[in-house]
Amino acid sequence: MKSHFNRHRIFLALFALTLILPFGIMAYKLIALDYAIAGLMPAVSYKVELSMQVHGHGDDVSISTYLPKSDSRQMITEEENSSGPFTFALDAGIENRQAAWNAEAVSGEHNIRYAFSVQADHLKFVIPPDLPIPAQADPGMAEYLKEEDGIQVSDPVIEATINTVLPDRNVPLLAALTGIHGFLQNRVENRNFSGYTDAVTALRLGEASCNGKSRAMVAMLRKLQVPARLVGGLILEQGSKRVGHQWAEAFINGHWVPFDALNNHFAELPSNYLTLYYGDLSLFKHTTNINFKYFFKITKRLVPKREAQEALGSSVLNIFNIYSVFERIGVSQNLVKIMLMIPIGALVTVVFRNVIGLETFGTFLPALIAAAARETGLMWGIIGFVLVIVVSALARKMLDWMHLLHSPKMAIMLTMVVVFMLTITVTGVRFGLFELAHVTLFPIAILAITAERFAIMETEQGIGKAAKITAATVVVIAACYTVMDSLFLQSMFLAFPELLLVVIALNMWLGKWIGIRLMEFIRFRKLIFRQGA
Amino acid sequence: MKNPFSMISNWISARGNSARVLGMNERNLHYIYVHNQRKHFRLADHKLVTKDILRKAGVPVPETYKVYGSFYELASLENDLSEYRDFVIKPAQGSGGDGIIVVAGRHGQDWTGVSGKRYSVFDFKKHISDIIFGVYSFDLNDQAVIEQRVVQNSWMSALSPLGLADIRVILCMEEPVMSMTRIPTKASNGKANLHQGAIGVGIDIESGLTVHAIHGDNPVSVHPDTGEALLGLEIPHWDKVIGASRAIARAVPLKYLGVDIALTEDGVVVLEINVRPGLQIQNANMRGLRAALLHGGGPDA
Repeated sequence: MKSHFNRHRIFLALFALTLILPFGIMAYKLIALDYAIAGLMPAVSYKVELSMQVHGHGDDVSISTYLPKSDSRQMITEEENSSGPFTFALDAGIENRQAAWNAEAVSGEHNIRYAFSVQADHLKFVIPPDLPIPAQADPGMAEYLKEEDGIQVSDPVIEATINTVLPDRNVPLLAALTGIHGFLQNRVENRNFSGYTDAVTALRLGEASCNGKSRAMVAMLRKLQVPARLVGGLILEQGSKRVGHQWAEAFINGHWVPFDALNNHFAELPSNYLTLYYGDLSLFKHTTNINFKYFFKITKRLVPKREAQEALGSSVLNIFNIYSVFERIGVSQNLVKIMLMIPIGALVTVVFRNVIGLETFGTFLPALIAAAARETGLMWGIIGFVLVIVVSALARKMLDWMHLLHSPKMAIMLTMVVVFMLTITVTGVRFGLFELAHVTLFPIAILAITAERFAIMETEQGIGKAAKITAATVVVIAACYTVMDSLFLQSMFLAFPELLLVVIALNMWLGKWIGIRLMEFIRFRKLIFRQGA
Repeated sequence: MKNPFSMISNWISARGNSARVLGMNERNLHYIYVHNQRKHFRLADHKLVTKDILRKAGVPVPETYKVYGSFYELASLENDLSEYRDFVIKPAQGSGGDGIIVVAGRHGQDWTGVSGKRYSVFDFKKHISDIIFGVYSFDLNDQAVIEQRVVQNSWMSALSPLGLADIRVILCMEEPVMSMTRIPTKASNGKANLHQGAIGVGIDIESGLTVHAIHGDNPVSVHPDTGEALLGLEIPHWDKVIGASRAIARAVPLKYLGVDIALTEDGVVVLEINVRPGLQIQNANMRGLRAALLHGGGPDA
């Protein structure tokens, strides 16, 4: 009895320690190290998926486009190419990053997909009001002053327009820029059409879309000896779009300063502008022997802020330093984030099993499937899971007929799960269901074991019971997904991984909890809710 | 709107009642884990080990005719079986009733199962090979046991004509705390499994009288297939049922267990012991197991 009592006291002490220690470390970080909790709040990120559809007629096909580069304003991550028979090549130039997809003898329809994530900042410049227009052009900037096909610097129309906008050319640069921008904004009408307009045509017609206005701006700036260039990019908005966007940049005081005369952004660029390339170029080039279609699918998401990770500097307690070590050896922070969320998913499953009383397949399966479903999305994750389980269980019924030993039988099950998952992936890619294609990330071994258990349960206790447990598992997967997808929790656990001790403490508490499960109130309802006693 | 006082009194009574019910969490943590060491689970799961211990303790078990552990022993199978008309073939470490063949009689060179199915010597050899290979037990190897077929007495046959009924007694610290008999139905396909549709009939430990019965989720008073009355019956050989249960609890190192017993013409025979007896017995008795455990020698008594 005494040893039991001591064990109980040690347990309580351990429990208190696992509960108090992490909050202590957290408090130290927040108070002593001045860790800003506001920095942990999520930032907006966009997932951009470029889908290109190629219909070939048996000839060699080549397609190229510009892919965004990371710079001080925008960060490009999680790039992913899926191009079937097309070989993919990247040419990382100084200014632009060009991607090319090539294939020989292409016939029929093919899909090429390139996806990436963007996190960008809002950029705003303040131009000193007395900064003069450069008297002489910088010789190194000749490229940004020259005449081009669509930017007819020496055309009399440009000269004439400048004379109208700036009767007195002896003004500071800011006044000149304000004048030109204002003229293009107010006097040249916005046209929402996607065709090509050169600088002179835009000014002559008095109406233009983004590319015409930007060319006119660049042409006028170059005429004034201010280095300027065209920028091609994309305005990031949730949904699908086919059109890119163009704006202008002027080289002022050592900075490239953006101007969008179509959407009235003067010396600033909103955080949903994605830069794809510099120069008067067209976004796509392709061999003419094909039918070519493309669109961008843009999904807005919330992600942890980049700055937050640098906040703690070189302190030993700055866990982000450790994550950057992981990143150097190829383990992305995204993966670390998912790993940190798996114990939370397991805790959710424990609550469902021991407090609510839902029977699920395995303690860890729902959390692992929920983690894998981050790539597929919840709906496709669940569809993929149920498909894999049901088809594998059917296969297992056929194996039953062979009367095999357990281990070889399980090895065959595993093989079949792998084959079936690859089939789903290939089918998904074929029909453009890329979310479904991500089922390959599912934990294969656990699915094989689950399919085996599903089949045994179906044999011993009937399809009704097996279906019921599958349904309960799906419910718990959805709950795990919802909790694990919480950006707040993700940010908190990335910044304060010591909170995992709290998860252990909660499990210690649940491990000693002997209350009646919610489902048992239903099971024993006649015993519990009868009148009298 | 209900009378608030009656709502409160209902709530108080539900709270009191729920304190009498044993839930899965408390069963595992305070009864199974505390009283049964993991290393002893095997003696309940391995039927030959169980029978060996019980026989030595003087508890009646089905007689073992023959055990096959390797293939060369199968050569003599036909000869070994020649003297028996009825018997049961089962894996020593099977689970969930898988891999069991109940043989009820001979038909020329062949045998017939309880369901009327015919088996040749070749069928038996193949089935026993499967058992030895471990097809029915997750182990690599198993043994096939050929043992006496348990035939229930006429009293139980009248009550349970669709299959072998068993009596489950749950014991804690060698004291019987709750009991029921499980009666196969058409719905349960002849199996004495409550989840598959067998009837559960609660039995008062002191008197051996049947007190309450459930079929699925609902209380019943007659057998749904035969119309036989189920309540107020006195179980024959009740003293032997309780005696055998106590003897088992004394013989094994498991202090919380369920024993499954069949009634025969001579008395009782023990079918199985279970380290994790289910909780549905509470519904069959319309009585909470927690109250029974605390009343009758549980850990907190």
